[in-house]
Amino acid sequence: MKRRTFIKRGLLASGSVLVLGDLEGTRVLAQDASGTPKQGGTLTWGHSETTQNLDIHQTGTASTLRLLQNVHEPLLTIDDHFHVQPNLAASWERSQDWLTYTFHLRNDVVFHNGKKLTAADVKYSFERIKDPKTSAVSFDVFEDVAAIDAVDDHTVRVTMSKVYSPFEARITYLNCAIIPQGSGDTQGKQPIGAGAFEFVQREFGNFTRLKRFDNYFRGPAYLDEIVEREVTEATVRLTGVQTGQMTLINDIPLDRIAQVEKSPNLQVKTWHPLSWAFLNFNHKVPPFDDPDVRKAFDLMIDKQALVQGALWGQGVPTPTPSFPNSPYRNNDLEVRKQDLNQAKALLQKAGVRPASLSIKFKVTTNYPWHVQAAQIMQAWFQQAGVNVSLEQLTWSDWLSQVWKDKNFSLTMVNFFTLWEPDFLYYNIWHTGGSFNFRNISDATLDGYLDQARQSTSEDQRVTLYREAQQRIFDQAHDVILWYRNGSLAAVPALRGIDTIVQPNGSNLAFWRTWLAT
Amino acid sequence: MLSYILKRLLLLVLTLWIVLTVTFLLTNVVPGNVAVMILGTRSNPETLAALEQRLGLNDPLPVQYVRWLGKTVSGRWGDSLRFDQPIGALVRQKLVTSSVLVVMALIIAVVASIPLGVIAARRQNRWQDTATSGVALVGISLPDFFWGILFILVFSRWLRWLPSSGSVDPGQDLVQSLRHALLPALALGVGLMAHLTRMTRSAMLETLSKDYVRVSRAKGLAERKVTYKHALRNAVGPVLTVAGLQLGYLFGGVIVVESLFNYTGLGWLTYQALLNRDVPLIQASVLVIAAIFMLSNLIVDLLYRALDPRIEYG
Repeated sequence: MKRRTFIKRGLLASGSVLVLGDLEGTRVLAQDASGTPKQGGTLTWGHSETTQNLDIHQTGTASTLRLLQNVHEPLLTIDDHFHVQPNLAASWERSQDWLTYTFHLRNDVVFHNGKKLTAADVKYSFERIKDPKTSAVSFDVFEDVAAIDAVDDHTVRVTMSKVYSPFEARITYLNCAIIPQGSGDTQGKQPIGAGAFEFVQREFGNFTRLKRFDNYFRGPAYLDEIVEREVTEATVRLTGVQTGQMTLINDIPLDRIAQVEKSPNLQVKTWHPLSWAFLNFNHKVPPFDDPDVRKAFDLMIDKQALVQGALWGQGVPTPTPSFPNSPYRNNDLEVRKQDLNQAKALLQKAGVRPASLSIKFKVTTNYPWHVQAAQIMQAWFQQAGVNVSLEQLTWSDWLSQVWKDKNFSLTMVNFFTLWEPDFLYYNIWHTGGSFNFRNISDATLDGYLDQARQSTSEDQRVTLYREAQQRIFDQAHDVILWYRNGSLAAVPALRGIDTIVQPNGSNLAFWRTWLAT
Repeated sequence: MLSYILKRLLLLVLTLWIVLTVTFLLTNVVPGNVAVMILGTRSNPETLAALEQRLGLNDPLPVQYVRWLGKTVSGRWGDSLRFDQPIGALVRQKLVTSSVLVVMALIIAVVASIPLGVIAARRQNRWQDTATSGVALVGISLPDFFWGILFILVFSRWLRWLPSSGSVDPGQDLVQSLRHALLPALALGVGLMAHLTRMTRSAMLETLSKDYVRVSRAKGLAERKVTYKHALRNAVGPVLTVAGLQLGYLFGGVIVVESLFNYTGLGWLTYQALLNRDVPLIQASVLVIAAIFMLSNLIVDLLYRALDPRIEYG
């Protein structure tokens, strides 16, 4: 019996349900549509992860950003189609040569400490991110920034030393949020922003309490309070919302989504992508320095079966990591279908005898579904005659061995929120990219990416990023595996569940949600 | 007596130093560091090097050791590298949270086990004895996480009596704190209760066969008085000693139960510190757990003498 058949039969035999239906949608209870929003109430959110350092400029974890989305505001923001829109800046101008940006601030923005937003706050925030001593995660956005000037109380001018065309898009990331002048040292423990909710209290690892900020510039939220309870054990989290102890949870356990969706007492929202995952080769370790070998490995994988087996159907295969609604996505690409004979032929062409290969596949237990995926892929690799052994690593060990020391042959990882093409492709696939842990060095690809970040033509950027995706696919620099679905479950009384998930697919905002009694 | 206490305290300090030095060496030998964890997959070589420098991770090991020892002795534990919180406050807060859980588990175990053990002994080889021994065997054989899952299912999911997860600071809301601690305390206490039940049973059986018990009965004392006033008082000493010694074990063993119930106490904190290679926090947590274990041993030893004046200290 083929492994694929075995997996499918195994899942069915164990009583599991393969979800092949709509991968994106909301099942809202009937009464949700009715009623007028009303103010009041506490939303208890069972959060799937522990939040870390609360300093918005320093924090790199998706979990902390998910919470701080409610506390902070960036200068510009994005809409559902990733078009840059005004936010704290009511408008802005870009000079003809793309070297000067002038931002005109709203005059009705108040921080949680009662101070009104001024140009000095923007200057302070951007300079803090640019300062290497801050260890800000978005410091690279400001590398080509020559000066940040407060022209007057409500006008800020940013001068670039050279063109960096993604600048406007990059400052929409929450990591570039505007904080009050001088508040940097205390942000980690007492975040102060201009968001819809203000920080009240945190017991590390247990909960964070936020309360409504009545002076929020878009108008006050409906909820009085948000209590973010950090419940990392998925089943306990699910029990919490089923028993009404929690109002809402994110990340329903993958193997339970199908069952929860049938529950008459819960609302469920699923969407994709929450994140995307890829299989990685170390390009400096033979035989993975040969594109034919990498392509052969790609051909050994049945991505659809992998999504069913590892994600319980909660995802879709994709040949590119660009978000489905991104204008930069290359829609001509198609996932390579599993073809073990062609894979063997490619290995032969590359002069590699499958039986001579003995490869260690390092996978982190931080994402249990990655371990399952690795086990499934291992079986396919072995079907093609390649001996692959798995090494399961804690997140800390994976980061040290794979990410930092690049000591691996084969691995896999996933990313959240990388919708902006320069951040995504330059960092991950450029020879000098910060996230290029696979030792990829491809002059053609570098050329596309260098040109794209300095191009002032939107059409040209679209073309270049599509070319870049084609190149990554043709060279099989990595194998893009899937988009994983995000999911929320909520009690019937919570209204506005469709307003919660932000365009980046990861952050959650509760400004428009309310509780019906 | 005083010299005995002083000797034990000196031994305690020496043992703590050895434990901490071994912990320091082990945590520094294993691969990985906290800077990598802090930056995660948003790190690059430059930011990583800057952060490692800022956290003092590039200093030679002996320099780090001396710096750490100085801080530990003077009580300046500094901030957790990973969580950016003062370690002293963090450990204190989590210690209080865990204490509620552990003390409750101990009370549940002692209060339930002594009557069960007495009943089993008084009804030796009858159905009550068989039932109690069977329950005790099941209690000992199954791990605490199994009981945890079962209790969540029954008391939280089905009956909806108690919260399935989380913890509340007893200083803020004592009732809620106790409600949140009850299920994990039950899960933690079942194994100990089973163990103490068996101990009580055998101690009672031994005591009930003593001559003075026979004499009491011959004198016509009521069976209830013989059992509870004379036999139990003598049998319960070793049981309470074992229960006291378990206090230290419970503090060290709460990691699984705390993780299961998302009960964010000292066990949970230690686990997080280990996962994140947060060396100062690991050391502080281990120090506190080791100190509790040794102090509880010392206190039990001293109490044992109070309970049984025949015991002499060398």
